[in-house]
Amino acid sequence: MENINYKEEIKKKTSKPLLWIAIMSIVMFFAGLTSAVVVSQGGGSFLDVPMPTAFTISTFVIIASSLSFHYGLISIKKGKFGIAKLCVLVTLILSFVFIASQWMGWTYLYENGIFAVGSASTSSSSFLYLLTALHIAHLVGGIVSLLVVFFKLNKNKYSTEKYLGVQVSITYWHFLGGLWVYLYLFFMYIIA
Amino acid sequence: MSAHHHNENDFLFKYIFSTDHKMISKQFLITGFTMGFIGLVMSTLFRLQLGWPGESFEIVELLMGSWQEGGVMAPDKYLALVTMHGTIMVFFLLTAGLSGTFSNLLIPLQIGARDMASGFLNMLSYWFFFVSSVIMLISLFVEGGAASAGWTIYPPLSALPEAIPGSGAGMTLWLVSMAIFIVSSLLGSLNYIVTILNLRTKGMSMTRLPLTIWAFLITAILGVLSFPVLLSAALLLVMDRSFGTSFYLSDIYIGGQVLDHTGGSPILFEHLFWFLGHPEVYIVLLPALGITSEIVSTMSRKPIFGYRAMIGSMMAIGFLSFIVWGHHMFLTGMNPFLGAVFTFTTLLIAIPSAVKVFNYITTLWKGNIVFSPAALFSVGLVSTFITGGVTGLILGNSALDINVHDTYFVIGHFHIVMGLSAIFGMFAGVYHWFPKMFGRMMNNKLGNLHFWTTIICAYGVFFPMHFLGLAGVPRRYYTNSEFPMFDNMVDINEFISMFAVLALFAQLVFMFNFIYSAFRGPRAPQNPWKGTTLEWTTPVEHFHGNWYGDIPEVHRWPYDYSKVDANGEYVTGEDYIPQTTPLGEGEKDGGH
Ligand code: HEM
Ligand SMILES: [Cu+2]
Repeated sequence: MENINYKEEIKKKTSKPLLWIAIMSIVMFFAGLTSAVVVSQGGGSFLDVPMPTAFTISTFVIIASSLSFHYGLISIKKGKFGIAKLCVLVTLILSFVFIASQWMGWTYLYENGIFAVGSASTSSSSFLYLLTALHIAHLVGGIVSLLVVFFKLNKNKYSTEKYLGVQVSITYWHFLGGLWVYLYLFFMYIIA
Repeated sequence: MSAHHHNENDFLFKYIFSTDHKMISKQFLITGFTMGFIGLVMSTLFRLQLGWPGESFEIVELLMGSWQEGGVMAPDKYLALVTMHGTIMVFFLLTAGLSGTFSNLLIPLQIGARDMASGFLNMLSYWFFFVSSVIMLISLFVEGGAASAGWTIYPPLSALPEAIPGSGAGMTLWLVSMAIFIVSSLLGSLNYIVTILNLRTKGMSMTRLPLTIWAFLITAILGVLSFPVLLSAALLLVMDRSFGTSFYLSDIYIGGQVLDHTGGSPILFEHLFWFLGHPEVYIVLLPALGITSEIVSTMSRKPIFGYRAMIGSMMAIGFLSFIVWGHHMFLTGMNPFLGAVFTFTTLLIAIPSAVKVFNYITTLWKGNIVFSPAALFSVGLVSTFITGGVTGLILGNSALDINVHDTYFVIGHFHIVMGLSAIFGMFAGVYHWFPKMFGRMMNNKLGNLHFWTTIICAYGVFFPMHFLGLAGVPRRYYTNSEFPMFDNMVDINEFISMFAVLALFAQLVFMFNFIYSAFRGPRAPQNPWKGTTLEWTTPVEHFHGNWYGDIPEVHRWPYDYSKVDANGEYVTGEDYIPQTTPLGEGEKDGGH
């Protein structure tokens, strides 16, 4: 009967919208947390913390990763799958560099007596660690999707017509970049 | 449809790990009702204590064992039960139970889709809900008992594990359960929104959608925007509890000991909680309102009055619900100007709410009403929405709220406007779509009995609470017999508790009717209520994919009841025209 293939069709129609609504939820999650920071600051005993330069590096790295992924998608559309593979690989590497730079940022904070938890922590220092860690938690999802794209590229699963999975993955990846830039500016101008 | 292959996995995938929206809908309904019944029994138990403080009830001891040593509820158990009752009713029955059941059942059927956008996410949504239900129930049996800080789990009671008995393992499990619940709710809402926006059949424009679907859509949008904020609130709470952060805590002493927390504020939690909490009220209410719109129109055999106004008012309610949360916090020492702003936005909600009530009544007006149990419960909803809404005007007003905040006035108000309205909408929906869900009819006589006893008991329980509240009786108190100024309230409390016990028995009637009819009820015809919407064009028996052959095309809005032509004759010879009937020559589509 006709129903056999409706699942394929449903998937085609709904993958991107599903992602967009999920992104809306994540936006609200971080909006809730960052407005919590603002509300806490109103309370008075909110300490200022210096910004680690490593976070500035993170910003450039994640923007670069978005650009390389984007170039990868363009290459797929043009049928240049070799270049696409390279681009996705570069994106993957950059994502690990990003995490490394975050780690460096935390080390710097830690060495300057700014702690995530415990009696020497304040709510602003905890927020700083928490927000970055939560961003990375979401980034892990992005890395998984990058890996999927990478393996599918290697198995020639995409064509110049068929690249829905890449589009979904790249949308999420750009979103993660945007989210980081937002957090970075928020740290610069609100917390620091 | 894929071939019928018979093996032992059939049962497993058909009934347990189903990805079919119709089966998932039933799973939500049964789990939700089970939780709801447990919540109801809890309320009856603590009502016994409130009505006859200190009196011994042996039957209760039999049921609850050491929970009620000597048949009298212990104070800490009282707090635990109140908390669990509120949590279960609001989240498990009226959020997951209500939305999960009807969004799942009706969205694909009424928009003309073969299933949800993602059957897999949908199944996950149910299973997360199930697991969170189980954890919530288990939390009743851990050391120290269930969470006891109220369903709003304000810190510090919720933030310091050593604060009261229920602040320990019970609170931890509450948080675990709710985190899983939120994930379930997000997955569900995600699916509902995308399905409605992307999988409508040909001809089903947004302005031809039944109002149920509009209600589910707006509900789901509220869900994806507000639940993540609750998740963030819960996350900070977990950090404070387990990792020694100070998001919600500052300058705290416990047993004369200074605790190591500086800089946080419990008010922050209230902001985050109520940013979800108020939209949550509408997450609970809107599906019920949508269901009512549908039933009121079908059962009065008249087009819904003000279709567009109904959509507009739901959108307005949805939007406003995000900017009123401060009305729960008038007593937190907020700037009076801010209080005035929240008063203003809150009172604004009265306008779209009034539009809805007006439209329901106008639809019913001079209708040829079929008083089925579904119609009765819908009218019941209109009643409770008015009586509960009116006291909302008082509570929304900061100057007045300060006097009755945290009293039984609030309990009366929100039970009527949110609890009763939503549960009435849910009952209405079950009576109306039971034939679609189970292929059988429920018994009308028992349904009517259920309705009348329920509404009488409901008002008997909640109406007098307003007077208690005005007299200053506080909510969440184990007993009021210790305070001489409440001595003359004993009779009212007894009166309320008698109705509460009766209400419990009324629900047994429903339970019997439901279970009996599901197996033994008369077989349902395809379109028992002569409805116009697409779900009644599907075969009575269920299968994955909903329609044999092509999905029907839609040609008109969903409310063509009693439509007559220029000669005053029914266009099709019947008093309803299905959405699948093409428009006649020169005939105008409704809803404009
Ligand atoms: C006949 C059924 C019900 C009865 C007799 C009942 C009774 C009560 C009473 C007396 C309280 C206040 C206890 C106290 O403050 O010490 C209460 C609290 C509450 N009820 Fe119900 N209730 C019923 C159904 C519902 C329903 C359907 C809802 C769904 C909205 C609901 C939601 C709540 C909530 C949220 C609280 C507040 C819990 C807290 O203070 O943390 N109840 N109920
Ligand atoms: Cu509210």
